[in-house]
Amino acid sequence: MKSVLLAPLDPVHDNAIKLLKRKLSEAGYEAVSMPPGTSAEEVVQRALVMQPDAILVSRTLGYKVAETLSHLVDLADAAGIHDRTRLGVGGMAITKEIGAELGFDGCFVGDLKIQEVIDFIENRAASSAVSASEGSARVKPDITAPYSYKFYDAGIERSLQQVTGQILDWVGNKTTDGIERAKVRAEMLECDAAERDSHANPQAREALLKRYIALCDPEIQAFYTQGQLPSGVRWLGKSEIERVPGLFEGGHEPFTSLRHTQSKPLFFSQYGTGCPVMDVVHIKVAEAWGIDGVFHFDPSWNAQREGLLEGYLTHEHDGTILTLENLKFIRHFMEPYTLWNVRGHRGLNTPETQVLGHAAGADLFKINIPYGGTAGGTDPERLTVDGVYSLMLAAQYGIPFDIPGNDELSGVPPYKTFAGLLVMMALGLRLGARPIPKPLLCYSPYMTINGRMDDNMIDMNLAKLAVWRDIVDTPLWPGEPVGFMTHTPDRVQSSMQTALHATLAATMGVDAVTIASSDEAYSKGPISAQARVDTLRAVRDELRFQGSIQATLSSAAELIKEEIHEKIGETLEAIAQRGDFVASIYEGMMGNQEDGLYPGRTGRGTVRNGA
Amino acid sequence: MKKALDSIVDAIDIETFFACRSEDEAKELAEALAGELNLPHGDIVFLEHKGWGARVRIRSYIHRPGDHYRWLENEEEK
Repeated sequence: MKSVLLAPLDPVHDNAIKLLKRKLSEAGYEAVSMPPGTSAEEVVQRALVMQPDAILVSRTLGYKVAETLSHLVDLADAAGIHDRTRLGVGGMAITKEIGAELGFDGCFVGDLKIQEVIDFIENRAASSAVSASEGSARVKPDITAPYSYKFYDAGIERSLQQVTGQILDWVGNKTTDGIERAKVRAEMLECDAAERDSHANPQAREALLKRYIALCDPEIQAFYTQGQLPSGVRWLGKSEIERVPGLFEGGHEPFTSLRHTQSKPLFFSQYGTGCPVMDVVHIKVAEAWGIDGVFHFDPSWNAQREGLLEGYLTHEHDGTILTLENLKFIRHFMEPYTLWNVRGHRGLNTPETQVLGHAAGADLFKINIPYGGTAGGTDPERLTVDGVYSLMLAAQYGIPFDIPGNDELSGVPPYKTFAGLLVMMALGLRLGARPIPKPLLCYSPYMTINGRMDDNMIDMNLAKLAVWRDIVDTPLWPGEPVGFMTHTPDRVQSSMQTALHATLAATMGVDAVTIASSDEAYSKGPISAQARVDTLRAVRDELRFQGSIQATLSSAAELIKEEIHEKIGETLEAIAQRGDFVASIYEGMMGNQEDGLYPGRTGRGTVRNGA
Repeated sequence: MKKALDSIVDAIDIETFFACRSEDEAKELAEALAGELNLPHGDIVFLEHKGWGARVRIRSYIHRPGDHYRWLENEEEK
């Protein structure tokens, strides 16, 4: 057994020494500690008797630091101890520079990392190197893997069987320009792959591009035929692209999870600054501060035009332009273990987004027909046809898809939103895809108008998570982001609300959580890098605060849960009886104009029968 | 010598507390401060006045997404 002598060279402070003694003892070392106020002479005298493998001293107070510590090193050298014993130093008053200058073999600054100390005692590679290698060996978790999707509510399951059957019958062989473009794009990607393998067929590629252009809106056609960029868009320069790797020379900070003692949930945040270079920097910031995954947000006009652009493109508006080159560029700089979601749940390019996302290495998709087919979104008929095709692609690629429930933000009550999520879940399962519903933890108009959160925000949010456990064995991923409509531009308040909602979800054992930045409620400019750090730090601390605490529903929360459950069943039964899913969206069965929701209009009248 | 402002990824936030009589006065002070510090297009992100003073956060974007970022340029290009 190796032995370690621990001594506080400080008149008062010995917390770190006590903590080290416990941790080293637990790790199987013989750890002997001395009391506060120990002198350098007393340390050396004890070491001569004990002959430890290492001496670790600490110093918290800032005066006479160099004098006290160098005296110890001199004495240890003179007594011949330093020849066989490693000398380490740590504490609030210590910097790496001081430790090295004074002749210590090791210097520990910041939070105690016991593995680093053990590596020092064992005289082996520094813990940062070990952590880095552990980081690169991290495996991406499959959020859906532990779940069977078994339904516990037979009535709901029966209604969903009927509704999904009706949807697939209705879709039949219908098609859209969006689906046809996705097919052409997939062929173009095959052509590009053949070219890389020296089997180029430029004529075939050109013919495909012509077919693609014919399926696009005039503005997108002008890009391909005349090189015209949409307003405000510019090409990224070659030098801009080539310099990005230089920003990250020296490797990546070892991953430090936000989680304290639990293995769940994973934490996600969105990016989409408008510029792929800025996105990369923001993603690296989020990774360094502990994010597990990120979402690609595209501009709203991307969703409202038929056709996507190509190349490295940037612009000064929200949302980063969805091109294969932009996606690959951004993916390239992510750590291998960072999960990546490319959303395509609402626009006219939904199927092609899945094709490009898959080609660029996406781990997750985002598809929700009822949500994407309402408010400022796509016509429900169009999105139902495109959405079913997209689910088939998700199944074909083996990529799970998440289903955001953000229609609650318009004022839709949770049970209607959840009915929509369940339809999407059942539809995805029927097509062989793996769904992840995302109940939104928020202070929505429905809650404020109906006084459902007048007393507290816990009962309703817990009930909204717990109800899923009674219905189906499914992963749960509250988003999008949690705490929506609780945030203000005050970064302290905003970070706190994010942390409270995220960790409340964690107490329910959810699988993942989407968090905002502290700029969530600031609407006059892009999200700043520091705003991302704010909420990641807040969530980390709140998780540390609560540890492995699990939530228990109050009697009020139980009642809310039962109410939501019952109304979900009624809503799904009514949709099944209506016998026409698209009509049920138009008619507001999953959210009507009184709730604040109305059918989307983009792409109306663009569905046609396929060959 | 590298300019610190050039290394700011996107935004600079100034947080402070003004001794002032009203929210309007706080706004004027915030705008004046942004000017005194030569911060381009200073914007008030958050301002809360209570009693005799105001907590305020002022933001200025040094680099907006889509700009040419000086933190990405070589020294001679700046």
